[in-house]
Amino acid sequence: MIDGDLIRKQLLRSALPVLLLVLCAPWFLDTYTTNILVRALFFAMLALTVDVLWGYTGYLTFGQSAFFGVGAYAAALVFTHLGFGPGYVILGVLLAMLAALLIGAVTGWLSFYHGSTPLYASVVSLVLPIVLTQVLFSGGTFTGSSSGLTGYGMPDLSVEDWFRLVGCLLVVLTTVVWLFVRSDGGRILFAIRDNEMRCSYLGINISVYKIALLIVTGIVAALAGFGYASFSGVVAPELAGFVFGTEVIIWVALGGRGTVIGPVLGAIVIDWSSAYLSGNLPYIWKLFLGIAFVLVIVLLPQGLLPAVFKGFRRFLPANTSSRALQLIQAEPKPVELEPQSLAVELKNVSKNFGSLKVLSDINFSASAGELVSLIGPNGAGKTTLMRCMSDGEERASGLVCIQGHEIKRIAPHQCVQLGLGRKFQTATVFDSLTVGECLRIARTRIDPPSFWRRSAQLSLPPYVLEVLTATELDQKLDVVTSSLSHGEKQALELAMVLALEPRVVLLDEPTAGLSMPERSLIGKIFIDLTSRFGLCLLLVEHDLDFVREISTRIVVLHQGRLVLEGTVAEVVDSELIKTIYSGSVGHA
Amino acid sequence: MHKQSMPALYGADALQVKAMTSGYGALMVLRNIHLSVASGSAVAILGKNGMGKTTLLKSILGFLPKQSGQVLLNDEDITTMPAYRVARQSVSYTPQEQALFADLSIKDNLRLGLPRDSLLAERLTAIYEIFPFLQDRMQQLAGTLSGGEQKMLLIARALLSRPKLMLIDEITEGLQPSVIQRVANALSTERQRHGTSMLIVEQNVEFALQVADHYIVLKRGEVVLTGLTREPSALSAIEAELAM
Repeated sequence: MIDGDLIRKQLLRSALPVLLLVLCAPWFLDTYTTNILVRALFFAMLALTVDVLWGYTGYLTFGQSAFFGVGAYAAALVFTHLGFGPGYVILGVLLAMLAALLIGAVTGWLSFYHGSTPLYASVVSLVLPIVLTQVLFSGGTFTGSSSGLTGYGMPDLSVEDWFRLVGCLLVVLTTVVWLFVRSDGGRILFAIRDNEMRCSYLGINISVYKIALLIVTGIVAALAGFGYASFSGVVAPELAGFVFGTEVIIWVALGGRGTVIGPVLGAIVIDWSSAYLSGNLPYIWKLFLGIAFVLVIVLLPQGLLPAVFKGFRRFLPANTSSRALQLIQAEPKPVELEPQSLAVELKNVSKNFGSLKVLSDINFSASAGELVSLIGPNGAGKTTLMRCMSDGEERASGLVCIQGHEIKRIAPHQCVQLGLGRKFQTATVFDSLTVGECLRIARTRIDPPSFWRRSAQLSLPPYVLEVLTATELDQKLDVVTSSLSHGEKQALELAMVLALEPRVVLLDEPTAGLSMPERSLIGKIFIDLTSRFGLCLLLVEHDLDFVREISTRIVVLHQGRLVLEGTVAEVVDSELIKTIYSGSVGHA
Repeated sequence: MHKQSMPALYGADALQVKAMTSGYGALMVLRNIHLSVASGSAVAILGKNGMGKTTLLKSILGFLPKQSGQVLLNDEDITTMPAYRVARQSVSYTPQEQALFADLSIKDNLRLGLPRDSLLAERLTAIYEIFPFLQDRMQQLAGTLSGGEQKMLLIARALLSRPKLMLIDEITEGLQPSVIQRVANALSTERQRHGTSMLIVEQNVEFALQVADHYIVLKRGEVVLTGLTREPSALSAIEAELAM
């Protein structure tokens, strides 16, 4: 409700005046300028899609021009070969959307399959426009080959009407993008940009998100292209080419990627000024644009708009409108507690890096309500073992069952769905998000977020609230995580993992970097998690005192083998521990 | 509590921090910090999480621009120097988070810490004594080492360059108890043999007291307690301060 008020206020303050400006501007502009600006407005729509993909999600794409070209050619082909009329416009729009959907799905699948790298995805985005222009070149009279298509039927609209129509559509599109990226759901894009691995270990299927995003932005770009072709009356293969795709990136970078308004203004100002400059200073104007680009990248890596805003902010009063996020307690999902059921089961699990055998024939199981500590010298294979339990691709051979389900070769986000949570040795949080936003991302699987709204409340299970209180992170919900200390990041990651309401939790040195008092508080929470909430905790720790206090059972790993398993007393006082752990450990 | 001067144990100061204030944007993390590390001495920086320990190291090195004050190394302010020039003053920094070249071998990681390759063989002998596991695994990629082994490699690289001043951030994190003991001994030996000065950020109070001869406790960006580690009451005083 409060968020709704805020949105309304923002829209009244910014979108409405711009809308008025768009409607009145044609009265003050000459026809040539209006004409240039209509084209720039279409390009600005394209720039917005690149901004969402690159600025917000971190996927550098040279291929959005291909979608623009597909839309433009859909219009030109229908109007040239079939004719022009309201029915044909609808047909053209549908064709443009369908083509964008298909190309987006195939490109997305090729670019974002499980395990692909960002560089690989960018290369695919470069290939797409190159392939598409070749197809257009070889289309003969059907596509008009290198000269493109022209002289087809066009809507009977004056330049001024076009300006008003496209201007209003751009305002609407910009508003929708703004609502989306600031919403709780939109924050997932930031999370993907910051740390994909953490996202998948929070149960988020990144490939699906990215493919869906590529399809939606592709359709928007195609519609912009469709509009552009209907307005200009001419299409050419260059519209779908990668040179154009690269120009869009320059507009976005100059305007300010990762802002909504920056790329829109960047596209409009650069396209409009280059239209003038190319008339007055043929050829040489590109040099000016190039120099401007280099200067901005060197001096203002975030782009022009953020720099301007930063300058203005000095004269504005501090932003006091940010509202504190309210935490509320959620009842954890009820689970039928069968204390003797196996939460984790490993049979003959082995793993090697090349010829180096890291794990050999590990057999191990743990039940709900148990807190098993995994100890062993550095390099014994403890972290590797956790990796094998949380990612189906990791182990070389053997069986892993989580909650009675065999994990086969499934990806981490699917393991999370079986009830698994994993905390890494080096804390992974989302650097550009606040503590509260990180926690909300962690709840994505349980509490699907809204893609329009920002909620003022966040419901978390009781044990997560306890972790936050114990480490005083509940006082820092609005703090961006990059300014947290090392120990605070550890605690935040722990809270994020527990927010998944997992049944089996793998904790790799969860108290590293925490002070003694914080350690004992976290220790109490662990005991609570197992005894009261019936979770199964597997813990890698070096602090034997800490292990002794909280564990129900200890497992010792040494040189990739499980060498000892037993109660706390049996293991801690054993000779073996004294020799391999506290004693001399210089072995290879 | 503001300026607390430290009793001098050794000779001239290797590092002097004067009235330094630092932070992230409007967020002030450190206020008016005075600190000196005498040549050949070791100072431990203790404190709870988020009290500014790592920020202090980063500000001293100039990774985080300070807002006021001075950091003097041989009477020269080092915070405005580029990192490579600070390193050439024989300063080594062992950060808390990954600072290894994951795709290079252990040997190459070690070589990068040295001004000349020819020094490697000679100095490695001492390193093998502390971390024998390195000996057989010189060709292994650093990225495939476990978390604790990476920490050991980091400290090995720092020791190999035989710095005059070492800044060490939570080196014991993730190490097994016996290795922590080894590292403590290695650092003490290094000081005795080469007169190295050290500034050590730690959570592990016992380790810190063993290695350092001075300690300071930071709380909300201010120095609230300083003293000599050899005083019998040091441990209880520190624990009382940390528990608050």
